[in-house]
Amino acid sequence: MTSSAINAPADAAPEPPPLSDRLRQTVLPRLVTGLILLLMWEIAVRLLAPPFVARPSSVVAIAPKVLTDPKFLAATGSTLLAVAEGLVISLILGTLTGLAIGRSRIAEKALLQHVNFFYAMPMIVILPLFSLWFGYSAATRIATIIFASIFAIVMNVADGARAVPGEYLEVARSFRAQRLRMLFEIVLPSSMPYLLAGVRLAGGRALIGAVVSEFFLSIGGLGYYILYNSRSYHHSEAFVGVLLLAAFGVGFEVLVGWCTRRFMPWYRRGAN
Amino acid sequence: MSAPSAPAAQPAHADSARIRVRSLGKRYGALEVFRNIEFDVGAREIVAIVGPSGCGKTTLLRCIDGLLPHDTGDIWVGDARVEEPIAGVAMVFQHFGLFPWKTVFDNVAYGLRMAGAARTEIERKVPEFIKMVGLAGFEKAFPYQMSGGMQQRCGLARALAVEPSVLLMDEPFAAVDAQTREILQFELLRIWQERPTAMIFVTHSIEEAVLLGHRVIVLKGRPSSIHEIVEIDLPGPRTRATLQLPRFAELRERVWGTLMREAREAEFQLERA
Ligand SMILES: Nc1ncnc2c1ncn2[C@@H]1O[C@H](COP(=O)(O)OP(=O)(O)OP(=O)(O)O)[C@@H](O)[C@H]1O
Ligand SMILES: [Mg+2]
Repeated sequence: MTSSAINAPADAAPEPPPLSDRLRQTVLPRLVTGLILLLMWEIAVRLLAPPFVARPSSVVAIAPKVLTDPKFLAATGSTLLAVAEGLVISLILGTLTGLAIGRSRIAEKALLQHVNFFYAMPMIVILPLFSLWFGYSAATRIATIIFASIFAIVMNVADGARAVPGEYLEVARSFRAQRLRMLFEIVLPSSMPYLLAGVRLAGGRALIGAVVSEFFLSIGGLGYYILYNSRSYHHSEAFVGVLLLAAFGVGFEVLVGWCTRRFMPWYRRGAN
Repeated sequence: MSAPSAPAAQPAHADSARIRVRSLGKRYGALEVFRNIEFDVGAREIVAIVGPSGCGKTTLLRCIDGLLPHDTGDIWVGDARVEEPIAGVAMVFQHFGLFPWKTVFDNVAYGLRMAGAARTEIERKVPEFIKMVGLAGFEKAFPYQMSGGMQQRCGLARALAVEPSVLLMDEPFAAVDAQTREILQFELLRIWQERPTAMIFVTHSIEEAVLLGHRVIVLKGRPSSIHEIVEIDLPGPRTRATLQLPRFAELRERVWGTLMREAREAEFQLERA
C-alpha cells in the first residue's frame, strides 16, 4: 500500500508534456529519420533495380487500388478470421491448461516440460506434419495458428496462477469458496495481467503462423496474396499487404493495451 | 455485562461460550509454536490477545478460523468442531485481503456470494454494511483508490456482511496510521454495540487490547502458552472517555508489566545465545 495511491482518481496519469515539446523532441526526429530512409529506398531502387521492384512512390500510388480490390479484401478477411478463431481457441485452451499447471503439482509435472519444448520449437518445422494430418487446407492454417500462439498463453497464465498472493487464497478459503470457484474467481482474475501479456505475445505469433502457413500451403489469404504478387512481379501490391500486416500487429498491441486500461483499471505496476 | 467479582480461573462467560479452545498445540515441523492453549470466548465477548512478535498469534487465529490444521487439542465454535473454515466465523486480515479487481461493493458481497446468498439478499444487505462502516458513496471505488483506513473498513464490512457469530481480527489496524487507527477502534466498538458477537482481537498495542477487550490474554514463552488472562472490568459501552479512567491506566500498566517482563527475559535469552 503506497501512500500515493490514496484517493487517486481512476484515470490519474502523469501530466503529459506540452504538445509542442513532444513534437520537437520525439515526433520530429522520428519523422526525419523515416523520411530519409524512404528517400534512400526510393533513390536506390530507381538507380539500381528493375522497374517492377517496389519503391515508396509506387506503393503509395497502388495502395488505393489494392485496398479496394475485392480479392485483396477477401484474402485479408480470410486471414484475419482464421487468426481470430485460432486466438480464441488458444485463449480458452491455453488459459485452462495454464491454470492447471500453475495450481496443480501433478499437472505441472506432466505438462510443463512439454509446453516449454513446444514453445521453443519453430512453428515452421511443425507445418509439414500438420499438412500431412490436415491436408493443404484451412484446417492446417488454424492448427498452425493455435500451435504458434497457445504456448505463450499457457506459460504466462501458469506463471500468473503460481504467483497468486497467498492472502487472496486464504480469504477465499476463509469464506468457504469451493475449489473451482476459487480457480476462476480468484486465481484467474489475479493472473489477468499475466494473461494479457501472454495474449499480446500470442497475437503476433498467431499472425506469423497464419502468414507462414499460407506461404507454405498456398491457400488463399493475405500471406498468399503477398507471395503470389511478389512471384508475379507485382512487388508494390505485395508491399501494401506487408504494410497492412504490420499495421495489424501494431493494432493488436494497441487493442490489448486499451483492454487492459478499460477492464483492469485496478492493475498498476507497484500498486497493491 | 462482565461480572467483575468472578475469579479469573472461572470465566463468567463459560456457560454461554461461543468459542472453546482446549489444550491446543501447533507446530511447524521442528518449531513448536504454542502448546496447551485453553480459553473460552463468550457469545458477546471481546477477547484481546497480546504477545511478543512471533509468539504465534496469527497462527492461533488461523487455526481457529480453520485455515490451518492444529496438532493437539480441540477448537469448538458452538457445537461445531473446527477442522476447516466453518460458516458463521469471519476473519478480518491485517493487510485487508481485499481483491484489487473487485469494487467495494463486490468485495463486501464476496462472503455472501460464497455462502450462496440470493441476488436480492446481496443487493439489500451489502449497501447496509457499506453504510455501517462509513463507506457509503464508495460502492464503485476500487481498493487502490482508497486509503488504508478505508480499505480496512471495507475488509470489516465484508466480514460483517455474512453476519457471523464469531469475528476474528488479526491486527486489523496495524497497517493504518495512528489517527485512523484511533477512529477505527471507536467505530469498531460502536458497531459491536449494535451487533455484539464473539470476537478475538489480536494486537500489538496494549492500549488497544485494554480498550477493546473484556479480557486480555497474554501469550508468553517459546513455545508460547497463556501466561495470564487479565479481566478488563471497565464499564461499557467503551468510548473515548474510557481512556481517561484511572482504572484504564491501571489495567494498561498491569498488562504492560506482564509483557515487558516477558520482553526482558527474551532479551536476556538472546544475549546468552
Ligand atoms: N507457514 C509457516 N511455516 C513455518 N513457520 C511459520 C509459518 N508461519 C509462521 N511461522 C513461524 O511461527 C512463529 C509464529 O508465527 P506467527 O505469524 O503466528 O506469529 P505472530 O505472533 O502473529 O507474530 P507477529 O506479531 O509478528 O504477527 C514464527 O516464529 C514464525 O516464523
Ligand atoms: Mg501476526
